[in-house]
Amino acid sequence: MRPEHRERARIEAATRVVDRHVAALRPPEEVGLEALVNDTLYHERRRLERDRGGDPRNADDSAFYHRIQKRLRHASARDLREMLDQIALRFASEIVGNFDDRVYKLSTTVVPTGLSVLLTAMSPGKLGSLGSLRHGLSDHVQIQGTVDHVRKLLDKGTLVVVPTHSSHLDSIVLGYAVHLLGLPPLLYGAGLNLFKNPVTSFFMNNLGAYRVDRKKTAALYKEVLKEYATVALELDYNNLFFPGGTRSRSGAVEQKLKRGLLGTAVRAYVGNLQSRRDKPNLYVVPCTISYKLGLEAETLIDDYLKEVGKNRYIIEDDEFSRPRQVLNFMSNLVSLDSRVVITFSRPLDVVGNFVDEEGRSLDPRGRVVDAASYVSDGGVAVHDAQRDEEYTNELSAAIAREFLRDNLAMSTHVVGYALLDMIQRENPDMDLYRLLRTGGRSPSVTATDLARETERVIGALSRSTRGPRLSDELSRDPQAVVDDALRAFGSYHAHAAAVRRGDRVFHEDRNLLLYYGNRLKGYDLGRNLARPSGEAAEPAGARA
Amino acid sequence: MTTDDCIGVIGAGNWGTTLAKVLGDNDKRTLLWARRDELCREINETRQNSQYLPGFSLGPSVEATSDLERICKSASLIIAVVPSHTMRETARELGNHLTGEHVIVHATKGIEQGTFKRMSEVLREETCLRKIGVISGPNLAKELAARQPAGTLVASRYDEVFVRTHAALHNDYFRVYQGRDVIGAEIGGGFKNIIALAAGVAAGLGLGDNTKALLLTRGLSEMARFGVAMGAEVMTFGGMAGMGDLIATCSSPLSRNHQVGARLARGEKLEDIQRDMRMVAEGVKMAKAANDFAVRKRLDLPIVRAVHNLLYEHHQVPLLLKELMSIPAGPEFAALTV
Repeated sequence: MRPEHRERARIEAATRVVDRHVAALRPPEEVGLEALVNDTLYHERRRLERDRGGDPRNADDSAFYHRIQKRLRHASARDLREMLDQIALRFASEIVGNFDDRVYKLSTTVVPTGLSVLLTAMSPGKLGSLGSLRHGLSDHVQIQGTVDHVRKLLDKGTLVVVPTHSSHLDSIVLGYAVHLLGLPPLLYGAGLNLFKNPVTSFFMNNLGAYRVDRKKTAALYKEVLKEYATVALELDYNNLFFPGGTRSRSGAVEQKLKRGLLGTAVRAYVGNLQSRRDKPNLYVVPCTISYKLGLEAETLIDDYLKEVGKNRYIIEDDEFSRPRQVLNFMSNLVSLDSRVVITFSRPLDVVGNFVDEEGRSLDPRGRVVDAASYVSDGGVAVHDAQRDEEYTNELSAAIAREFLRDNLAMSTHVVGYALLDMIQRENPDMDLYRLLRTGGRSPSVTATDLARETERVIGALSRSTRGPRLSDELSRDPQAVVDDALRAFGSYHAHAAAVRRGDRVFHEDRNLLLYYGNRLKGYDLGRNLARPSGEAAEPAGARA
Repeated sequence: MTTDDCIGVIGAGNWGTTLAKVLGDNDKRTLLWARRDELCREINETRQNSQYLPGFSLGPSVEATSDLERICKSASLIIAVVPSHTMRETARELGNHLTGEHVIVHATKGIEQGTFKRMSEVLREETCLRKIGVISGPNLAKELAARQPAGTLVASRYDEVFVRTHAALHNDYFRVYQGRDVIGAEIGGGFKNIIALAAGVAAGLGLGDNTKALLLTRGLSEMARFGVAMGAEVMTFGGMAGMGDLIATCSSPLSRNHQVGARLARGEKLEDIQRDMRMVAEGVKMAKAANDFAVRKRLDLPIVRAVHNLLYEHHQVPLLLKELMSIPAGPEFAALTV
């Protein structure tokens, strides 16, 4: 973001939020203002208590809130408003961060070089020269889908790219893809933990990332954050949001999306129309990132199983914070065993309509519709919080459909699903958790049976109308698909999910099988599978 | 909205004309769409729709037209009241003239045959619209036209749909309530026809009010179970579009569904009854759709099953009654704790 924009975004984000609160106040104003200051104080102090010594800036924060607290006692409405402004600006300043404009301009060259530097710095001998690495990467990071369409839309409005999220590598890989495609860098909110992480801080500070502190729970903070994203969109910065919020723990493609950040799209669109911007349109581009192997698979599925139904914690110590593990994964990526496929889906407008190459919204029958009409009242663009919330729900549903449709099923997913499904059917009396722990009656299945089941899953997937797409390797002989998956499983994880010994395949890490198989959740596989009569379909609760 | 003073009503059948009459009573400028020009002429010249709402006059603010485009250009609130089997075609046609600013509420009870889609889903698929809602409640057209006190539900995810429909229709004899559960409101309006058919059977057998109350109450329970499985909220079925509509429909011996049931109870064949009536009673179609869905979702809906077996499997009434009465009775709300 350019310096003048950065300052403008910082001030606008803070003042818009405070103005909105002030406008909604009922007399006596002091009461509402004080409640808001108090609420923010409460959440911030709680955070500081919990995170004592965690962040060097905490001491500064403590002193700041201490001063606010002292002034609060005899504050007039005017004083309270001033305090709110200060708090909101403080939040906004942190969010904007201090990334360097020169670096931003250079970022198209920084991205790939940075990625290469990251890899070669960790193991120059292993990965060879910078050039060959780049070559290797472009072989194994594949970009598919509506690339030309997206490129055309760049001239017609602002992009909001919304990818699936299963790894901290996502933003880096996507940054790389954006560079390869010659698209301008994307602005995105990255968790503070990524700024602290030795591997990622380099990228986060330089790729147009703004800071998101998930430990800050105050409503005011979240509002400032959303408003910052809105202003950035209004300033024509293409944005990247992960609408799933955090990385998918279960391995499944996200279907429940967070509407908070997503809602900034329609807000910014109305803002653009009201300020009569030259190109007011916003285009939402869903994007699926499919990994054959999950870098953080073990930690994520473990967290999922531990925390299912409870509040999740923020993982700060996972595979991604261990350079050696990232290195293993990356070297695997450039070897033959793994692959990342990024698929750009059909672009949408802010209410979830598809958009043609001219940037025009289309109704479900393919007729052109004026996107501005959705937010108009008598021809004038207006904000309407309730309406816009529903529009965002519609948009979110459309994104979720595209995710399912363009998700790429790979051998690891299919074989993971097939094998766990077989184990479950052999142990119908065992609940999933016990089964995952013990493995049930038999530690293995025959390779022939697994191939047959794999073939059946592939058949069911190809019949499913909702997606996914099938990776090339799945068109091979089922036995070859199984071998391909087993080779991948064995190449990266500490314990392979499954191994072949003789003519039997042993399930060694069933949590991983669940993780990979969950990628195929959402396609009603239980029902589509042509099972021999008498056998039950997918058992209730069998999948995450 | 600049066009707020004009409201479009699509469909000049019995219920569409009645709603246009309410709008006329409220002095709202209304464009009433009828496909046939002769009907438009009759309405505009005589203020009456002698075929579908004989004996009632429409106010001077109501104008009939066969020009859909004109309606869409003049009105931003559209009330769609066409039969369920023509909704898709009409919506597609409307879709040529609509913009995202339009608000639409439909007052069509029933589900699209074959696809099993609700009317709001059909509207969503055939138009660019987002602001979609449904009017559903205990509204017998004749009573409403006679200005007898009545109430209804307008359900939509969008507040604007309710606010504007309320402003158009609510008056001193017609109370318009707000709901958000579109699925529940649509299911209630369609499902009640199955229970009305069953109530007709009971009446045809000469059974009294205890039986009718048993049937209605357990029917409501089935409606709620069915609705919840479709994604509705259980409370909706205790309201206008659920219990309200069920009471009104099952109390009226003149309703087509009731008549079909009564005649079946007397031993007549479905084909003969349908030939006489010339129109398919909604409950006949709905019973099939609901039973198919129940089987697929493994829902236990004994009344629906019985009506289905009576209509399509040629089971005998006394046997079905015996079967229904022999089902073990446990906690009243057991099946509803979904």
